[in-house]
Amino acid sequence: MEALIAQLVNGLAIGSLYALLVTGFNLLLLVSAVVPYAYTHIVVIGMYTAWFVLQLTGGSLVWAVPSAVVVTTVVSMLTEPLFRPLAKKGAINQTFVMSIGIAMILTHVMARHLHHGIPVAFPENVSGRMAAFQFGVIAVSRGQIFVFFGTVVAVAAFMFLLYHTMIGKSFRAIAQSPFVAKLIGIPTVKMGIMSYGIAGVLGGVSAVFVAMALGTAYPALGDALGLKVIATVLFAGLGNLNGGLACGLILGIAESLTTGYLPGMWSNALAFGMIMVTVMFRPQGLFGTRI
Amino acid sequence: MLKVSGLSVSYGFICAVKEVAIDLYEGEFVTLIGANGAGKSTLLETILGVHRADRGKIFFLGQDITNRPTDRIVAQGLALCPEGRGILPFMTVLENLELGAFHRREYIREGLENVFELFPILQRRKRQAAGILSGGEQQMLSIARALMAAPKMLMLDEPSLGLAPLMVTEVFKVIRKLAERGHTILLAEQNAKKALQYASRGYVFETGRIALEGTAQDLLRDGEVIRLYLGGTAKD
Repeated sequence: MEALIAQLVNGLAIGSLYALLVTGFNLLLLVSAVVPYAYTHIVVIGMYTAWFVLQLTGGSLVWAVPSAVVVTTVVSMLTEPLFRPLAKKGAINQTFVMSIGIAMILTHVMARHLHHGIPVAFPENVSGRMAAFQFGVIAVSRGQIFVFFGTVVAVAAFMFLLYHTMIGKSFRAIAQSPFVAKLIGIPTVKMGIMSYGIAGVLGGVSAVFVAMALGTAYPALGDALGLKVIATVLFAGLGNLNGGLACGLILGIAESLTTGYLPGMWSNALAFGMIMVTVMFRPQGLFGTRI
Repeated sequence: MLKVSGLSVSYGFICAVKEVAIDLYEGEFVTLIGANGAGKSTLLETILGVHRADRGKIFFLGQDITNRPTDRIVAQGLALCPEGRGILPFMTVLENLELGAFHRREYIREGLENVFELFPILQRRKRQAAGILSGGEQQMLSIARALMAAPKMLMLDEPSLGLAPLMVTEVFKVIRKLAERGHTILLAEQNAKKALQYASRGYVFETGRIALEGTAQDLLRDGEVIRLYLGGTAKD
């Protein structure tokens, strides 16, 4: 029983992280009509940024967090001109090829030029491995608590933007009908660029939380997370924001429970197996496609 | 207010609008009539910068707006109520209206008062998803959203399409009310008889060209217009 609770808490922390990554991914999919496979790679670039700044400042989070956010935002916005010609023509499948290319370049840069490709480990004050509570075998670490509540705040802030500001309403209008959005005078190209910026900010925040949850960053992490995010997005239904949040949590909990009761290698197999079976019978995903 | 000269637009090899010239003065209510596929929508959308003009010029308020980005043209004061209404079904009535005022955010409060006075039904349903409104209500919402841009000129594309006859009359009454309040209106309509009854001037569109133009009264009496678009003979 106690072990189960411990696994559930861990699952919630990891799941909320997936939910946050899926949200940034869906934002780009909905507003800019691209499949942003390289989004998680940009997040990992943010993790490296945080790590370097921590090294330089002797472990100052005050510097590390904003630096990660700035770098992911800038890198995300720099990719926009690469996608624009394809997005303009509505060639969404081709944007996937473009983003795989960008992902490969970013992975290569990390493998060759960032800390010689050796995985970096985040110091204790970031990963928060220290137990905050301990009841018998259940240990809930500070990192887990922080990751869970941090992502809840980040998602809530994003939802506020989406439903209560003109930028957010314009994003939703473009997601529903780019043509109508254009006819009523919404500057769709400018809003597209803005969605890369906001996805970048979310990516930077995610980078900090991934660093806390995993305690490490390495070049192949972009692909590992990217596959999970894209599978979760398909599992929930392409572009379904609320569905994405739910499925992120489901995936996190499913993974965590399998890790608790089966040998480690089963975690991915079971999580992806669950997604594959769902998509086989419901190609539109659990909650329905929104694009 | 609006001056279009020698305008040609094509999709690939198909020439949708050929050498079209139209003029609109401030406060006028002008209609473009013509059959489905005559190029009326293409013309309105080209004026709004959605399609590229191959040749010709479009002047609005003395400025050349030919092939400018749509959002800049809307910001200058030209609004379109699109064919098929173009409402955003998953957003609320209120959100649809607010988006209409994208370039006039300081006007939202006053604009809402104005459109709720014109369309009380929208105020009652403002928190509902626009997709569940009836066809007529959606058309009212579409007109109201265009008005939220505080436009200097309003273009309406087939506002009577797919509506019950009683609702069609409602929509025309609203448009006349707007014209009486001093709005400059360009209305594209298949329902030629109704359009000419309400507008002051008209252009008759035929396969991308202007076949005839004149005052609404002259066109209503014109034998050819009657035969082709009003479904009868001059005696009717």
